Amino acid sequence: MSKFNRRDFIRWSAGITLASGSLGFPGLLLAATRKVVIVGGGVGGCTAAKYLRKLDPNVEVTLIETKKAYTSCFMSNEVLSGDRTLESLTFDYEGLKRHGVNIVIDRVTAIDPAKKSVATESGETFAYDACVVSPGVDFKWDAIEGYNAEVSETIPHAWFAGPQTQTLRNQIESMPEGGKVIIVAPPNPYKCPPGPYERAAQIAMYCKHHKPKAKILILDPKDRFSKQGLFRQGWSKLYGFGTENSMIEWVGAAGGGTVEAIDPSTRTLQAEIEEFQADVINIIPPQKAGKVAFASDLVEGDWCPVDKLTFESTRHPDVYVLGDASSAAKMPKSAYAANSQAKVAAAAIVARFNGQSPGEPTFVNTCYSILGEEHGISVAAVYTLNRESNTILPIKGAGGLSPMDASEAQRKREVSYAHSWFKNVIDDMMG
Amino acid sequence: MKYIASRSSVWFFFFLFTLCFFTPVQSAESELTILGETPPPGFDPVTGERIIPNERCLTCHGDAHEKTDTRDDGTIVDIYADPEKMEDSVHGEQACTNCHATIDRVPHREAPDVVVGCVECHRETWDKHRNDPEGKYERLGVVMETIDSYYDSIHARPNRHDQSETNATCYDCHEAHDIGTLGSHQRAEHRLKNPEMCGECHRKELNEYKESVHGKAVLEENDSESAVCSDCHTTHTIDDPDSDKAKLSITKNCGDCHKEAQRTYFDSYHGQVHRLGYTNTAKCHDCHSGHSVKGEDDPTSEIHANNRLENCRVCHEDANENFLTFWPHGDADDRENYPGLWFFKIFMQMLIFSVMAFFWVHVFMWLYREVMDRIQGKGFIEDLNKPDVVYFRRFPSVWRWIHGLFAISTMTLILTGTTLLFAHTGWAKAVVVLLGGPEMEGIIHRTAAVIWLGIFLAHLTIAISNIWSKRDSFKWFGSTSMLPNWKDWDDLKGMFKWFLGRGPRPEFTHWTYWQKFDYWAPFWGAAIIGSSGIMLFAPEATAIILPGWMFNIATLVHAEEALLAAIFLNSVHFFNVHFRPERFPMSTTIFTGAIPIEEFKHDHRLEYERLVESGELDSHLVSRPSRRADLAASFITTVLIMAGLALLTLVLIGLMTSPA
Amino acid sequence: MRYNNNIAILALLMILPAFSQAESPSGQALAFTCAGCHGTDGSSVGPSSPSIAGMDPDVFVDVMKGYREDRRNSTIMNRIAKAYTDEQLRGMAWFFAKQKLQVSSQKYDPQLAVVGEKLHNKYCNKCHEKGGAAGDSGTLAGQWMPYLRYSMADYIDGRRPYPRKMKRKVDAVIEAEGTDAVPALIHYYGSQQ
Repeated sequence: MSKFNRRDFIRWSAGITLASGSLGFPGLLLAATRKVVIVGGGVGGCTAAKYLRKLDPNVEVTLIETKKAYTSCFMSNEVLSGDRTLESLTFDYEGLKRHGVNIVIDRVTAIDPAKKSVATESGETFAYDACVVSPGVDFKWDAIEGYNAEVSETIPHAWFAGPQTQTLRNQIESMPEGGKVIIVAPPNPYKCPPGPYERAAQIAMYCKHHKPKAKILILDPKDRFSKQGLFRQGWSKLYGFGTENSMIEWVGAAGGGTVEAIDPSTRTLQAEIEEFQADVINIIPPQKAGKVAFASDLVEGDWCPVDKLTFESTRHPDVYVLGDASSAAKMPKSAYAANSQAKVAAAAIVARFNGQSPGEPTFVNTCYSILGEEHGISVAAVYTLNRESNTILPIKGAGGLSPMDASEAQRKREVSYAHSWFKNVIDDMMG
Repeated sequence: MKYIASRSSVWFFFFLFTLCFFTPVQSAESELTILGETPPPGFDPVTGERIIPNERCLTCHGDAHEKTDTRDDGTIVDIYADPEKMEDSVHGEQACTNCHATIDRVPHREAPDVVVGCVECHRETWDKHRNDPEGKYERLGVVMETIDSYYDSIHARPNRHDQSETNATCYDCHEAHDIGTLGSHQRAEHRLKNPEMCGECHRKELNEYKESVHGKAVLEENDSESAVCSDCHTTHTIDDPDSDKAKLSITKNCGDCHKEAQRTYFDSYHGQVHRLGYTNTAKCHDCHSGHSVKGEDDPTSEIHANNRLENCRVCHEDANENFLTFWPHGDADDRENYPGLWFFKIFMQMLIFSVMAFFWVHVFMWLYREVMDRIQGKGFIEDLNKPDVVYFRRFPSVWRWIHGLFAISTMTLILTGTTLLFAHTGWAKAVVVLLGGPEMEGIIHRTAAVIWLGIFLAHLTIAISNIWSKRDSFKWFGSTSMLPNWKDWDDLKGMFKWFLGRGPRPEFTHWTYWQKFDYWAPFWGAAIIGSSGIMLFAPEATAIILPGWMFNIATLVHAEEALLAAIFLNSVHFFNVHFRPERFPMSTTIFTGAIPIEEFKHDHRLEYERLVESGELDSHLVSRPSRRADLAASFITTVLIMAGLALLTLVLIGLMTSPA
Repeated sequence: MRYNNNIAILALLMILPAFSQAESPSGQALAFTCAGCHGTDGSSVGPSSPSIAGMDPDVFVDVMKGYREDRRNSTIMNRIAKAYTDEQLRGMAWFFAKQKLQVSSQKYDPQLAVVGEKLHNKYCNKCHEKGGAAGDSGTLAGQWMPYLRYSMADYIDGRRPYPRKMKRKVDAVIEAEGTDAVPALIHYYGSQQ
């Protein structure tokens, strides 16, 4: 066919590449270092930082985070059962530094998409070619009357792993035998959908051994929740759910589970139908995107709209919003989802820097819940992008929940795999 | 502007065109990718297929402690391939999977189909390297021929019981892991293993072979000089042993080692027919047996004295004890062992030599003389402007008929007989095919012989009755008598003087001495050829009264005498009658019966003068033969001369190319 | 103008096949999604999800197809594997096969491991050559021991079909060495760090 030999080919293709490069992408020839500023050192931010460096070592990555160490929310319910300490959830950023990521401990006040720079509380500004924003969630404090940040010091939300997690653990420990714990679950959407229900099981796990007469009540403004069938099955098996002596009770929206107000002094909750009083109350308030997202004009409604091909904000170019703050239906707000999205965004940013179009994205979410020492359940999904509707859709026929009829051995294995999941996500984002 | 726009779109088009054009080139040149991933190490960068290193195969297949494996169905299979042998073999640098091409995973996830195709690889390698200057692959040329031979052999044909398989394929015989180059120790070992290997399938034959002299030498004494299967059967040109082709090649192959035996066999009637390409006479293995060949001292041998007659009787059903004294490998050149045979051969050859030497000298001197005379304007020169009108009637029609038939039957005998004598020649084989095979040829030969003898006897009867009827006036040494007399001796001397220019040409009576020789020679010939021919015609009957070695002598003299006759008649006789310048190109007298009176005068002046004197001449004179008779006679004479010369040519070719 | 249109259409037709191929995410992109459980580039930090870095690509595809077609016992992988085409599995397989396996340390019983090494050499090494290192029969050396335990339990209890001939060897090693045989082997593989 072709009479071209190899040398001809190389000469020609080099010429064509050069020509097309100088015509279409003049910047490429300058080979300048590209700068990426990452706002937020959670799963999304860390993963993006690591994978940006991994995919293109020429990219300069700066990660700005308020805290010196990261404490993972996932697996933090195990602190409540006493299976785990907060320290075991806390990790420094040394790993990312080894990958060549600049770590800046500071608070970002706002992003200026026009100037392509990020400003911090300490007065510094960071110019960027691409900015990755992964601020997580913030609470809608005004949703429950009488509940605010100050009250949450004593009636904890414990929804950001940290001191409040320990507070909640301490309150449960010091609660008298036969005491009552109320968990106020949030309305959709919120981060870690099975979290409140796993939390109930983890508290029950502790109580079963130490306060067998204790009761845990979940007040829920929803009628359905994540892994509901599996939770009910696990609760019944382990904690007598559905029986008169059940340690765990759940009141949904239809049963008057929506909490409207709290009296912190008496630890009394005003729900739709009746009042509830408890020894320990854990309120998980309704959620919205993190503060920085609002300050940087990245939000529509409660969350940040993005082009799901790249996770670039649809409101401002060159700004990418990942994780819980993004509006990434139909992916849940989970660590694994943020991890997965971060890699798609990192690849898209690197592709853009190199004058290529972004590759077809692929996403996975896996999420484990541990209901007892030997009882784990999971949900998994593999997602693909429907470009027309800009929707991330689970691939049909794949994914789903742990089977209802799984053996005890399988449930036990899922606990072990849940711990593997935890360790590997942490390692993948910052190890 | 419009110009620029159209120009730029041309460039755009050109750019896209080159892009599309190069895309396939690029993918052909570079690695295969799947979803952007190139093949990992251990996989072919271009095809993406797994590269299985030989060591991986040898983990299991090279373990001398576990040479077999048990299949899932319980069958035990041999899985061992000696790594050292493999490395040492011509295929040492090959990857296992080059031949075992169906193996794509190790360990095999399923019981693998062991499918190996040798031919394609060898063909491709040959095509690729046939012109390599170093000659490293030269030997592959032989392999190519071998492959073609194999495809023509019975081994390449579908198995009778399972048409999906051939009877045998490359690796049934060749241990591909242990093939050596020419002269290598592997080949030497392969040769010694040959019988066992063939015996894998040919069990019965192997058992016979084990008992044979060959088998004992090879298998018990590791004597690689002795015959293994392939020495007789060939390696790749193997045919159905019942086929003529196989029988012929086996007999030929015996001679590769047993050269003397083959030579003497080919001299025998058995061997002559065989050599013509026919298998209906005894071949080596008919007498010596094939696989269980043994020495004659072995009482179980087929050629042991006690078993030999039975052996002969396989073909010669009525053979008697006298057959035992036949020398199947009788060698007329071996004076020590076959003095009788030797004597006959020497005698016959001396006879041939002396007769031919004498007459050819006679012929050439005569030719010389006539040519010299003619140059000098002397001698008998026909006046073509004055054609003869008066003829002398020399032969009555009965003699003309007898001579014609005699000539035809003699030529037939020469043709059919010399095919055996010169069985090595191509013409002999062609003639036999033309005649319909050796059996048909035998029938023709014997029919011609009967006719010949019949004519001979008829002639005798007529001659005797003629003499009887003229018994009162018949002069035994008269001018028309065939009996030689002193004048013949004088004429002979006179001729030689004339040849040498030392005297006039002698004048002859009715019969010249050379004509008398021509006449009497068949009496001797009939006695020798006829008697030996009859003996060979009916061997069983002959053996009732004669010893077996008489066949050897009969075969010898029959052939030698026939040879003499064939050469003599078709050279000397032709010259004397037709080719000497006075007669050239031919004399038709024997068919017209009439000779021009001038010619008669010239050659038989004394008789002419006697007839003139006695006044008998007129009664012998006839008019010129009719034009039709002349033409017919010319035609017949021409045909016979041509046939005779052709036969002479064939015989001379046979003699000159004779391997002995 | 007409002339230019024709050229544009021609160019579009020619360029289409070159650019319409990117329907699947790349092998790398697909493989990146596995890291949350199997570690970055497939080197799991444990304690039980197996490392798949350096995994033989054919074994990878076999395993994934086994999950996808529910021929192999699993907790979560059968649900995930169903999302991928054969080509995607191959792309991921090639990605992981090229990654260097980073082995993390794990606790093992040194005495058992010594026994296990002997057993391995006698019963297992022909398929799982080089001490069970990543190869055409999968990765055993340095693999997470709980995973190996689950795998062996699944084989022995019939939840996972044995590869050809493996049952014979497992039966033989248990027959000869007793119930400690399999744990010894697992400790041997775990000991290779």
